[in-house]
Amino acid sequence: MLRMNSVSKVYRTDTVETHALREFSLSVEEGEFVSVTGPSGSGKTTFLNIAGLLEELTDGSYELDGRDISSLNDRERSRVRNEKIGFIFQSFNLIPELDIFDNVDVPLRYRGLKSAERRRRVERCLELVGLASRMKHLPAQLSGGQQQRVAIARALAGEPRFLLADEPTGNLDTHMADSVMELLAEINAGGTTIIMVTHELTLADRAKRNIFVRDGNVSDGYGSDASPELHFASAANA
Amino acid sequence: MEFGPIWRAMLRNKGGFLLIALQIAVTMTIMVNAIAIIQERSRNIARPSGLDEANTFTLVSVSIGEDMDNKSLIDEDLDLLRGMPGVLNATASNSMPLLQSGWSEGLTLEPGEGKSDSSSALYFADEHTADTFALNFVEGANFEPNQVEWRNHEVNDWPPFVIVSRALAEDLFPDETGSYVGKTFYIDDDNPVNIIGVVERMQAAWQGWSGLERSMLVPQRQDWNFTRYIVRTEPGYREELMPEIEDMLVKSNPDRIIQSVRSMDEVRKLAYLGDAAMIRILTFIVALLTVITGLGIVGLASFNVSRRTRQIGIRRALGATRPAIVRHFMVENLLVSVIGIGVGGILAVALNMFMVEAFALEPLAWYVIPAAMSVLLIVGQLAVAGPARKASNVTPAIATRSV
Ligand SMILES: Nc1ncnc2c1ncn2[C@@H]1O[C@H](COP(=O)(O)OP(=O)(O)OP(=O)(O)O)[C@@H](O)[C@H]1O
Ligand SMILES: [Mg+2]
Repeated sequence: MLRMNSVSKVYRTDTVETHALREFSLSVEEGEFVSVTGPSGSGKTTFLNIAGLLEELTDGSYELDGRDISSLNDRERSRVRNEKIGFIFQSFNLIPELDIFDNVDVPLRYRGLKSAERRRRVERCLELVGLASRMKHLPAQLSGGQQQRVAIARALAGEPRFLLADEPTGNLDTHMADSVMELLAEINAGGTTIIMVTHELTLADRAKRNIFVRDGNVSDGYGSDASPELHFASAANA
Repeated sequence: MEFGPIWRAMLRNKGGFLLIALQIAVTMTIMVNAIAIIQERSRNIARPSGLDEANTFTLVSVSIGEDMDNKSLIDEDLDLLRGMPGVLNATASNSMPLLQSGWSEGLTLEPGEGKSDSSSALYFADEHTADTFALNFVEGANFEPNQVEWRNHEVNDWPPFVIVSRALAEDLFPDETGSYVGKTFYIDDDNPVNIIGVVERMQAAWQGWSGLERSMLVPQRQDWNFTRYIVRTEPGYREELMPEIEDMLVKSNPDRIIQSVRSMDEVRKLAYLGDAAMIRILTFIVALLTVITGLGIVGLASFNVSRRTRQIGIRRALGATRPAIVRHFMVENLLVSVIGIGVGGILAVALNMFMVEAFALEPLAWYVIPAAMSVLLIVGQLAVAGPARKASNVTPAIATRSV
């Protein structure tokens, strides 16, 4: 479903070149729950951004759902993000001036769905995360855990095949982190592919497969079906 | 479209938007009423005097010699003027339309002191005046040479005949449906005068007077040491003849001074100096206000773009295309503008009604308000376009990169 082959990402400023990803190759199949760990600055977020079409890659190839991403223009990339991918961010990233309902509604409006269909989906997703009673609240009126659940509802409302999460529990206490993890596991059980970046190995363990990133490169820690493009098999993670 | 959430988000962030809406409303109010005044002044400036303005000029002769015989000086001058090749006709009078200074009289329909029934500008005239003024007779006829008399400080009875402008005739005899010729009115309380001719149009000397169109020719020539000549040339000869004629008159008699040589264009320009200045000032104010409003919109939009950089990135991550981001800011501006021009429209009409009452301004032309609304809508959309484009360039990576 996701195939990266020798992807590299270079950030250039006037004075420095940062190689955030080097020859990064990875395959993720439909329905997998992959956790991504690695030291700070190793390139986890960069990988996620490229996977989620938030940034363009410098070199290599990336296929999503059998489609070569490099040939897409901005409009098509926006559309892929909108229809196939759901994002969950560490800092929730709800839009502060919209109430909960409108926040979950945002991607559905960009998709151009009819109002009745949008309402049905928003209400269902908010029910799923247990926040249907807070629809008229503003994000600032919710706890962190609640906000992250709204963000998950927003990611799910578009019924994506693919959920990308960057430290989804990073700003939450253990109890709330647990409930978010349970929710993700449920979603994955429903067939959605999930890639989750995390620092916490205990949480990473709850994924079916663990990827370890170091210096912009990848090693597959747990996978019985390690990807064939794997270059470094130095299973550095514990 | 996404009016709903944009509107609700604006309600949670009213301050800046309200200020801009207010600014648009005020601009609209001032713009509409300034345009109303500009239109009225322009209409005033465009009113015809009745003269052949393009080919007419005027000059003044002031006698300075001791015991001058003004009568023969005026006759000699007029002979010279009328004999000049390129001159169609010439006359001497106390004043002329648009000159800003002149003679007026109260008129009554019955003899005796009392409230006057009308009033009129008065031009002393000979049998050449009507032709020099290029007057168009709608009925009756011009003075005969023998009807014209001299008038001076001793002999100043009113003559028995006059030629009036149609507006004066209508003002004096509002119920008359037939001929005005032969009708009598009284000048200076108890001097009866008979209308022998009616001309289509001959303005008074004061462009700001409400009775501007009421005037009459009186068949008298002024035997004074101050004489105004009015000269009508053949088409195209005026500019050339003005200095030549000035020269000729100066040389013809050293005991007088020739001054105030002015084409009718200059006379008109002087008369409407105030109106023209008012038009320029108001145009400048309207342009300035429009620019300031545009800049205000640019400022607010730029501020909103930087304030919402993160949320723009999030929207892009969630699938907003660049055009969708541009549209977001355009719609936001549209909502603010609609409120602004809506309130502005009401204020503009209110102010206009007040001005119609207080300053007898003509009511607004129907198209001014929709035109001003369109201009402000377009200005708003243009002003917001730059910041909106900038917003659309925000990278979606902001969503994961900033905390
Ligand atoms: N916009 C950018 N410009 C320049 N360098 C960047 C940019 N974004 C990331 N980098 C660099 O790329 C490298 C990889 O960064 P990345 O954010 O992917 O790390 P990470 O694994 O997510 O780290 P963390 O665990 O701290 O979030 C880092 O060295 C970082 O400094
Ligand atoms: Mg990161």
